[in-house]
Amino acid sequence: MDAILNYILGLGAAIFLPVIMIILGLCMGMKVKKAITAGVTLGIAFTGMNVVLGFMFDAISPAAKALVEMTGIQLTAIDVGWAPIASIAWAWPYAVLMFPFQIAINLIMLALNRTNCLNVDLWNVWGKIFIASMVTYVSGSLIFGFIAAGIQVILELLNGDLIQKQLYQFTKIPGVTCTHPMFLQTPVLCAFNRILDFIPGINKINLDSKGLKDKLGIFGENSIMGLLVGALIAGIGGYDFKGIATTAIQVATAMVLFPMVAKLFMQALAPIADAASTFMKNKFKGREFYIGLDWPFIAGQSEVWVAAIIIVPVELLLAIVMSQMGLNNLIPLASIINVAVTVPALIAGNGNLLRMILISIMATPIYLLVATSFAPVMTKMAIATNALQVQSGQFIGWLAFEAPELRWGLAHAFNGEVTGIAVIIALALAFVWYFKRMIVINKTLDDKK
Amino acid sequence: MKRIYVACGSGVATSQTVASKISSMCEDEGLDVAIEAVDIKSLENIIDQCDIYVSIVSNDANIFDKPTVSGIPFLTGIGMDDEWEKLKSFIEL
Repeated sequence: MDAILNYILGLGAAIFLPVIMIILGLCMGMKVKKAITAGVTLGIAFTGMNVVLGFMFDAISPAAKALVEMTGIQLTAIDVGWAPIASIAWAWPYAVLMFPFQIAINLIMLALNRTNCLNVDLWNVWGKIFIASMVTYVSGSLIFGFIAAGIQVILELLNGDLIQKQLYQFTKIPGVTCTHPMFLQTPVLCAFNRILDFIPGINKINLDSKGLKDKLGIFGENSIMGLLVGALIAGIGGYDFKGIATTAIQVATAMVLFPMVAKLFMQALAPIADAASTFMKNKFKGREFYIGLDWPFIAGQSEVWVAAIIIVPVELLLAIVMSQMGLNNLIPLASIINVAVTVPALIAGNGNLLRMILISIMATPIYLLVATSFAPVMTKMAIATNALQVQSGQFIGWLAFEAPELRWGLAHAFNGEVTGIAVIIALALAFVWYFKRMIVINKTLDDKK
Repeated sequence: MKRIYVACGSGVATSQTVASKISSMCEDEGLDVAIEAVDIKSLENIIDQCDIYVSIVSNDANIFDKPTVSGIPFLTGIGMDDEWEKLKSFIEL
C-alpha cells in the first residue's frame, strides 16, 4: 500500500492532483467535461508555475550571486511571493482534507453561536493547508498540523466578528467581513499603534492618501516594481548596462506572469469552491450572519497601497542591515508590495496613513525574520512534494508571510520549543487585550449610528 | 460580444471567483461574453478595453466611465439576483 502511495505521490503534484481533482469533481456531480477541464487546468497551473519560477531563478540567481560576492552580504533566499507558496501548499498530500475541516469548524461554531461569521472564501483554505503542512513538517506530527490549522480557522472567524464594524466604516459594504489570515496580525499591530500614542503631535499630521496614490500608484504595479528591484540587484552586483536592463526586464516578466499562472489554480478550484460555499450558505438560511471574504474588497482604500509603496525602501534597507547582523537571508522581491501588513494596519491605525506607515515599518523586521527562518523548510517542502524544482543552494522565501508571529509560534510551539511556546503565550495575551479593545471600539461605532 | 472586467487585489482569487461565477451564469443563459479577472493596480491603464466593469470595492473607491455592477453579491449570494439582472441589461445593450 505504502509503495503504491509513494509511487503516486512521486509522480509529482502536476500529475496526481489533477487525478484527485477529476475524481472529486465527478463525485460532487460535475459534468465529465467540466471535471476533466478543471483537473487538467490544475496540472497546467503547477507546470506553469515551475516554468515561470525556473525562468525567474535563471534571471535573478546569477545577479543575486554577483551581489553577494560584490558586497559580502548573505542573501540566498529569494522572495517568490504567495503564488508559488500556494502551489507548495496545494501539493501537500492531505491538502484536500482541509476543505471539510474548515467548513465543519465554521458550521459548528455558527450552530453554537460562537461566531456570526460564515467564511465562504475557500480559496484561502490554502493558508490553512500551508500552516498545517509547515507544522507537520517542523514537529513531525500530522495531528499537530491539523490542530494548528484549526486554531487558525477559529481565530480567523473570531477576528472576522471583531473587525466587521470597522471594515464597514471604511468600505461601506454591508454584511461582509474579512477572514483572511493577514488580519491575525492585527493584535500585534494594535500594540504597535498604542506605542505611537506616546509620540507627541502624531495625531496632528494628516497625509492625503488619494493624492499620493495618484503620484505613486505606478510603483504599485508588478511590472514596475519587478523592473526596479531587478535593476537594483544587478546594479549592486556590478553588471554593465546591458546586464542590468536584461535582468530588470526578465524579473519584471516573472512578476507579471506569476499572477497569470496563479489564476489557473483558481480556475481549476472555482467549481469545487463554488459548490462548497453554496452548500454552506444553504445550511444557515434565515440566520443572520456576516459573510467572510478574501481581503480585496478592501483594495479600494488607497491608504493600503500608498503605505505599501512607501515602505519598500525601508524593506530593502532592513533586509541589508539585518543580513549584516546575521538575521536575514531574504531578498524582498515578489511580495515587496507587502499588503499583508498594510491591510491589517488599516484597522490598527484606524485609517490614519502616517500611523499605518509607521506600524508597517515596525512590523517589517518580523516579516524578514520569519521569512528567513522558514525559507529552508519551504524549500524542502517544495522539493519533497515535487511541487516546484529548486536548484541546490537556492532557497524559496516569502516576505508577506501573513500573520508571521502566529505561524512561527505555532510551528515551534508544537515542536516543543520554549521560544515557540513563549511567543504563543505572548500572542494569546495580545489577543485578549485586543479583544477587549475592539469591543470598546465597536461600541463607540454603534453609538455613533 | 461584450468584454467584462472583474478586478481585485492581484487579479487572481476574488476576481477570478466572481469571473468564473458570472461566466458560468452567462453560459447557462446562452449569453456570449468575454470575462476576465484583472489586477486592480493596472486597472486605470486597461479599463478602456472593456465594456462592463464589475467592481468588488466600495462604490466611491474606483469610479470609471463604464457601466458598473457590484461583484460582492456574487460572492455573498445576498442581492445577487438584482445585480445579475442589472448585468444582463448591460450585456444586452
